[in-house]
Amino acid sequence: MKTLIRQSIRTGVTFGIVQIFFILIAFNSMIGIMLAKISGIKNPGEIPAPKFLIAYTLLMGLWVGIAALRKKSELSAGQKILAGFSASLTSAVLVGLLEVVMTIILVNKVFVRDFLTVLSFDFIKATLFGMTPATGILVTIGCILLGSLAAVGLNILFNLHAVQEHWKKDMAFLKSLGEKFQYIVRGKYHLLWQIVGISILAVAVILIPMKWGSYWNYVFGTVGLYVILGLGLNIVVGLSGQLVLGYIAFFAIGAYTMALLNAPEPHNLMWGFWPALLLGVILAALSGLLLGLPIMRLRGDYLAIVTLGFGEIIRILLKSDVLTNFTGGPRGIQNIQGPNLFGRPFNSEVDFVYLIIAGVILASFVYNRLQQSRTGRAWLAIREDETVARASGVDTIKYKLLALAIGAAFAGLAGGIYASRNQFTGPDEHALMASINVLSLIIVGGMGNIPGTILGAFTLKGLPEILREFANFRLLAFGALLVFMMIARPEGLIPSHRPKYNEPKEASTNLKDKEVPHDK
Amino acid sequence: MTNNIIQVQGVSKIFGGLTAVNNVNLDVAEGSIYSIIGPNGAGKTTLFNCISGFYVPDHGMVLFQGLVLNGRSTDTVASLGLSRTYQNIRLFSNLTAIENVLVGQQPRLSETWVDSILHTPRSRKEEKTSLMEGFKWLDFVGLSEFANSIAGDLPYGAQRKLEIARALGSKPSLLLLDEPTAGMNPQETLEMTALIRSLRDKFNITIILIEHDMHVVMGISDYISVLDFGNKIAEGKPEEIQNNERVIEAYLGPGGAALAQKYRRKKAA
Amino acid sequence: MNDPSSLPLTPKGKNNLQTNTNTAVKKIQTFQNSKFMKLLRPILGVVVSLYIVFRLYQVLVVQHEYGADTWTRLLISGLIIGGVYALIAIGYTLVYGILFMINFAHGEVMMFGAYAGLFAFWGFKLINIPGDPPTNFLNAYPIIAIILAFLIGMTVAASLGYFLEKIAYRPLRKAPRLVPLISAIGASIFLQNAAMLLFSPQLRDVTNPDILRRGAGWTIVINGSNVILPYTGVFTFVLSILLLVGLYILVRKSKLGRAMRATALDKKTAALMGVDVDSTISRTFIISGALAGAAGVMWGIHNGLVYYFVGFIPGIKAFTAAVLGGIGNIPGAMVGGLILGIVESMGPAALGIDFQLKDVLSFLILIFVLTFRPSGLLGEVLSEEKV
Repeated sequence: MKTLIRQSIRTGVTFGIVQIFFILIAFNSMIGIMLAKISGIKNPGEIPAPKFLIAYTLLMGLWVGIAALRKKSELSAGQKILAGFSASLTSAVLVGLLEVVMTIILVNKVFVRDFLTVLSFDFIKATLFGMTPATGILVTIGCILLGSLAAVGLNILFNLHAVQEHWKKDMAFLKSLGEKFQYIVRGKYHLLWQIVGISILAVAVILIPMKWGSYWNYVFGTVGLYVILGLGLNIVVGLSGQLVLGYIAFFAIGAYTMALLNAPEPHNLMWGFWPALLLGVILAALSGLLLGLPIMRLRGDYLAIVTLGFGEIIRILLKSDVLTNFTGGPRGIQNIQGPNLFGRPFNSEVDFVYLIIAGVILASFVYNRLQQSRTGRAWLAIREDETVARASGVDTIKYKLLALAIGAAFAGLAGGIYASRNQFTGPDEHALMASINVLSLIIVGGMGNIPGTILGAFTLKGLPEILREFANFRLLAFGALLVFMMIARPEGLIPSHRPKYNEPKEASTNLKDKEVPHDK
Repeated sequence: MTNNIIQVQGVSKIFGGLTAVNNVNLDVAEGSIYSIIGPNGAGKTTLFNCISGFYVPDHGMVLFQGLVLNGRSTDTVASLGLSRTYQNIRLFSNLTAIENVLVGQQPRLSETWVDSILHTPRSRKEEKTSLMEGFKWLDFVGLSEFANSIAGDLPYGAQRKLEIARALGSKPSLLLLDEPTAGMNPQETLEMTALIRSLRDKFNITIILIEHDMHVVMGISDYISVLDFGNKIAEGKPEEIQNNERVIEAYLGPGGAALAQKYRRKKAA
Repeated sequence: MNDPSSLPLTPKGKNNLQTNTNTAVKKIQTFQNSKFMKLLRPILGVVVSLYIVFRLYQVLVVQHEYGADTWTRLLISGLIIGGVYALIAIGYTLVYGILFMINFAHGEVMMFGAYAGLFAFWGFKLINIPGDPPTNFLNAYPIIAIILAFLIGMTVAASLGYFLEKIAYRPLRKAPRLVPLISAIGASIFLQNAAMLLFSPQLRDVTNPDILRRGAGWTIVINGSNVILPYTGVFTFVLSILLLVGLYILVRKSKLGRAMRATALDKKTAALMGVDVDSTISRTFIISGALAGAAGVMWGIHNGLVYYFVGFIPGIKAFTAAVLGGIGNIPGAMVGGLILGIVESMGPAALGIDFQLKDVLSFLILIFVLTFRPSGLLGEVLSEEKV
């Protein structure tokens, strides 16, 4: 009993602190506005009407209740109520204290906005639901308690034997459906389903960009570029295990090659899209090799910081005035002309989306082939245990350089397409963050496999676009998501599986047996 | 005797103030099973490391089939036909068993990355042959059923066998085994001993063995060298070593020879 | 049945050597190539060093652009910033030594310390003290105010470090090294944005007590012009050195220091010897955070500007400094920090290149050092890996 109360109080304290934090960053206000939007009510100004804030507080109470009862399904109803109550009371008291402090600030007209920007008097009044302070505080406490009560109630209800039985039956039924479906898809009609699936995907991919509008095409295109980047970085980090932090530098090389060869300034060389793209890829690959030479002997974290250094060096050089005559300096390069395919220029975002999709397909194809080959296995051996890989006959220097070169080439490809699409490229303050973004997306998505990279790119690049509403809180949520993902699911959303090999038949006279059959 | 496949001449290795290996000479006949024994800390693994390229000896020379071996990188050594296993198992734990063996084949493969991307006939053929060979090696050591299991998940004895299978992938002429039966029960030890013997019998692979299990050493070796504190204190056939007083004293300490005598008399009685 | 003797291997009696000759010859050629590669590095090193010497000669002797006064100014600012870098670098190195992870969020811990110092000073300024002339707490009792500000800053940062470890790192102790790194990155992003949301993106000016007025200092006359030795700078530098020495004594002499060193060397054995590993790690983070907090307060005092992003670049630079000195090595972090500060400050002038490129120079030095000494300046030379 006592431990239960102590645990619940601890949960309550954690939650109370989280609640206080949310209020101090005006999260409550934002949720209130969102709720208002959902219910279709126009909101004057930035501060939502009290009822929405009350709704927010109720939701928070609900959350506390759920948290208090996590992993506690074996408790009796009475114990659950006790747990929920202790947790929510503790939370409520903490929030209440905050509101008391806020009241003091309000009443004495203390100007604290220099310290904590959200605490304007209007905000404080709103958080107190526009009521008198005492009432406001009591309502807050009440809402939290009420919300958690609801959660506890639902939990108890759900755990009733009858409900559980129904739920189990439903789950079993769904599972059997799933298994049947898998059997169909993977079994005899395997090939048929693949063809159907790919056709649907192909049609979707061709048609949707035409209907979407250029904003979504831009977003989709950016996601695609990040997929290419992710695959390239996967070769370096995921397959060969070299932690490279300045990866975006290769992207910049590809972008700048495209820009410098296709813009009126600074050089007025109009080489055209395709040659410039090819050259960009090659130059990026070469710089990957160049980067590799001094770092061969470096271990994991030293490697990370040196590659970070390289990335920064390139960024600073591009940004400085020193190389302006060559690279266009801090202003960047503008008016980059677009591609031409058989005489037809690329006019719209849609064309670029198709181009990017083609790039993604190419990158995935190369990646897949490499992954499943002797080269891929050599990389994996290096990743697992470089010393022993070497002693087993893997030329580690050659393979590490190869990984860097190919990975850089991918980035160069993405960079060239990017520069052409945006018609502008320039040194970016946030280059390091971009490198980190690519690293995060392959780890969150699932390192070393293609679907993981695609999913990672969508999640970390596509979602924020979809959730534009949350503007300010996007990055906050992003950071929290990274930490959460690493704790909850470090193998990524789509974990990598080792391929399964079957023993090939003896040298067969049967011509159909040319390929080694292996499933994944 | 047939020619010596490997000759270690006056090899020394010094770490700071400690001489781990001191002027050791070995001549290993081709096709033999040669054991290196000695108490813990005698420098056996250090000697292995000097032979296989992990360490560069401070003095001396290692000759392998007439070629100078010391100073070469470990991948060069592997491609010349020398493979090894490790005292603490060092598999590629996150890869499957068959993948481990496939990596072991690296020195004999010629597929380039371009081949890999384009699936040229050469790459497809090589992929197929290496898979076939890989499976056969796994079968040889008795791990066929584990081919697609993750190496790190395998039971201990299987992991030791897998390390050997991986070492065999490069078709070595010389195999260095570092305590292959460490931590094994008698049954597993018997299997391992039979395996080692068949490697020599079937494929003429010369084997140099570091071992602590005396039954294994005496039962399987053609020739033994004994190290103690970095020095070779004895060498010879198993029977000679068994009765060598210096060797017994190295293991049992001073007065050990007399103790062993007493024990033997008691046993005979 | 799988008969191994059908394998394409030589049956008993035949020599393997013939079949392997081709590969062997190829590999010997690789060996010779790598010998060339081995020579390449020293050659490159000599070339680069000669170039540097040449440029130094040009600038210092031939062109004589900068007088001793400028050099002194640059040296002073270099030492000051170097001291700050050293303090932050030690935090990285302490954590790395014990957990083998890069605490990417360390710069943000420093940032919160800076904010705490900022608010402390501000708060003190608001406390009015009547008198003739009327003044405020900050200026009436500056020494107490400064001490309190540092204590507040260091406490805030230390507790942040503690919670950071507890929430974001402890669950990941056993994970492969990339996982805690990403978690650290996530924590860093989270903290940056939390600060932005809490305190607004606005750049904040730090108000120093009058005795530590920014820009004021002792004047030395060198070469006919006035060189200022700023009060804030001296204060920062001296305090950095004191803290660093204090930490060194702690690590070398105290029980906690021994526990930290033991845990860093071998966690399992330390635990078996009775060291409370979790508590030691927590306390390492607390100390590391406290030092970062002090660095943050100093940053505010000397540079005068605090905002949510202020920890990012010094964090990276400090990590660079830690790596330069040999990560995991405490004196190395000090040395690395000071060297980095001086190189940043004096380097561009000494080599006659643009000041914009000072970071390029720092990173180049890093790459140069690590190419020739992969374990850092004072780092332990990792002997050939034991197998």
